[in-house]
Amino acid sequence: MNQLAESPTVAAPTAAEPRADGPSIAAKALLWAAERGIVVFTVVLILASVLFVDGFASAVNVADVFHRAAPIGIVAVGMTFVVISGNYLDLSVVAQVATGAVILIGVSNSHSIPIAILVALAVSVVYGLVNGVAVGYFKANAVIVTLSTTYIGLGLLRWLSGGSIFFGPRDGTIESFGDIKLGAVPISAIVLVVVALVLGFLLSRTNFGFVVRAFGSNKEATRLSGVNTPVVVLGAFLITSFAATIAGFVLAAYSNTAVSSMSDGYDFGALAAIIIGGTSVFGGKGSVLRTVLGVVFVSVLTNVLVLSGVGFGWQQVAIGSLIVLAVSVDALARKVSKK
Amino acid sequence: MSTPHGINFGEAPARTRVDQLRRTLGRRTEGRAVALLAVVLVVALVMEPLVFSAYPVTLSRVALVGLVALGLTVVILMGELDLSVASTVVLAGVMMAQTDNVALGVLLALGTGVAVGLVNAFFVVKVGINSFIATLGMLFVLKGLAIVISRSEPIPLENITFAIQFGLPIVGPLTPRIVIFVLAFVLLHLFLTRMRAGREFYAVGGNRQAARDAGIPVDRRLVTGFVMCSVIAAGAGAIDTLERTAADPTAGSTVLLSSFAAAIIGGVALTGGRGSILGTLIGAFSLGTLEVGLTLTGVQVDIQQIYIGGVLLLAVMTDPASLRAARSSLRTSLHGVRARSTDRGLT
Repeated sequence: MNQLAESPTVAAPTAAEPRADGPSIAAKALLWAAERGIVVFTVVLILASVLFVDGFASAVNVADVFHRAAPIGIVAVGMTFVVISGNYLDLSVVAQVATGAVILIGVSNSHSIPIAILVALAVSVVYGLVNGVAVGYFKANAVIVTLSTTYIGLGLLRWLSGGSIFFGPRDGTIESFGDIKLGAVPISAIVLVVVALVLGFLLSRTNFGFVVRAFGSNKEATRLSGVNTPVVVLGAFLITSFAATIAGFVLAAYSNTAVSSMSDGYDFGALAAIIIGGTSVFGGKGSVLRTVLGVVFVSVLTNVLVLSGVGFGWQQVAIGSLIVLAVSVDALARKVSKK
Repeated sequence: MSTPHGINFGEAPARTRVDQLRRTLGRRTEGRAVALLAVVLVVALVMEPLVFSAYPVTLSRVALVGLVALGLTVVILMGELDLSVASTVVLAGVMMAQTDNVALGVLLALGTGVAVGLVNAFFVVKVGINSFIATLGMLFVLKGLAIVISRSEPIPLENITFAIQFGLPIVGPLTPRIVIFVLAFVLLHLFLTRMRAGREFYAVGGNRQAARDAGIPVDRRLVTGFVMCSVIAAGAGAIDTLERTAADPTAGSTVLLSSFAAAIIGGVALTGGRGSILGTLIGAFSLGTLEVGLTLTGVQVDIQQIYIGGVLLLAVMTDPASLRAARSSLRTSLHGVRARSTDRGLT
């Protein structure tokens, strides 16, 4: 690992710069949109919403946007590691978030909160190990592996919990933690910021993060330069399951309840935010900041659509189109820059 | 690779019948599916023989799990994915319930399938984005459209009498669903093994550049494959709607898992180029029998999910390529790279 970090010949995975003789204006625009677009689009969307959408800028609504963005944002920030390492996604976050939430409230009701947190973290290590060993060591396809662990995990959770809803004690520690606010910013958003800072540092400033990105750009080259690649994949999955479990805690604290179906749609929802943020599903390219921007963009957009009276069906259509659009721009920019 | 005493091309010719048989079996990809089916059948025979006497139930479960998987197999063989099949099933069902004429409804559903397949293929072939992402976007779009069109309410079919007729057996104990499933299997099997265009699907999945260089119209084959997959999914949606006598916009959440599971257990490689429709059929049979057997022995749905997830996980991890990878990964971790890099080279 050290050997690799010192070597200047392994270029950091940045996208191709336009040639000096210069592509056409349309090509430049495409490249720009693929590289920096998400920052501008997010800012423009927020400004337009503040100016033109009634009720967007109210404290209640902003707090609501934060609340909806935070848990899925924490999941997405963690899953960024799996995506950048070139392993598509971790579908089992659905099961992990729900398991974290149910264990936090269920076990803390019967035992105590520290024991609940320990149990939940232990379970998240099991998830990370199973996914990471199957994908890293067995080179099995991540989609199928995490699809099966989702089913095993959700099946176990529903069987053991009886599918019932767990309520935390009224005015207990969990509920009062969920109610903490800094102005309009709820604690869940602060947790998101902390997780994003820690994982952002890990991804862009440490050896491990460098190796994750290198592995995503070129698996064979990374292996041949002496990196223990299966461990890298295992690490990426462990980080994802830690983040998912923390998201489960945040989700449970917010409503002071937990049920096995509370995280439905988090798998593709988190992936949508990652892709819209501009992280490449081919691996190697992307950052935690991009994921956070993607989450903010999707959450603000969804909120604006809800405020404007657009139904759930059209919201889904909008998110689906955005995914395809974001990746199409990236693919076209790639084609253009090759010419 | 050249050896000091000359170069060998391909394998040595088979000497005996047994040799030949062993080689043929070695090329087949259905091994694990057959093993799983054997285990499931033996366990079912011992624990719950009702699975066999109630075979119409088992068969219709297999047809339910398998039909979408057959279409998906075609796309996976070409090294692509289609995550939008489950949403296609739902949207086609909703489209079908828009009219009171059953024939027109089926046409609408199949037309939806063609359109979805063309859009998927457009993004993969023309725009050049990964099919995993293109069809992920379509998963959202189609689900959203189904909700918009149906106003998130189940739509009952106008022509209830025909729909009820449709659920009844027509040939012996076989319902139309099973007959259609068998027909789809036979046609796809013949297409992929006996027809030139079908054989070329394997080439597209095995080595796309080589296929292009050999003059195979790769793009056209991709379009055909995506359209076939979506049309079959749309057909499954129409059948679901007829059997339930209503289109449910929220149904179909488990279709994606079970159809992928059937194909993967059947030995279809996600990297493309390896696998067979027969394997998917056997995979669907093992899963369908497992589900019916578990239901008949009174196992809860939650625990059934654990079994099916476990079988799927076992299936991907016991893939010959996975086992090889695991051995080499372990060696990497235990001995370090230097010891290994000389003897393994650039494999």
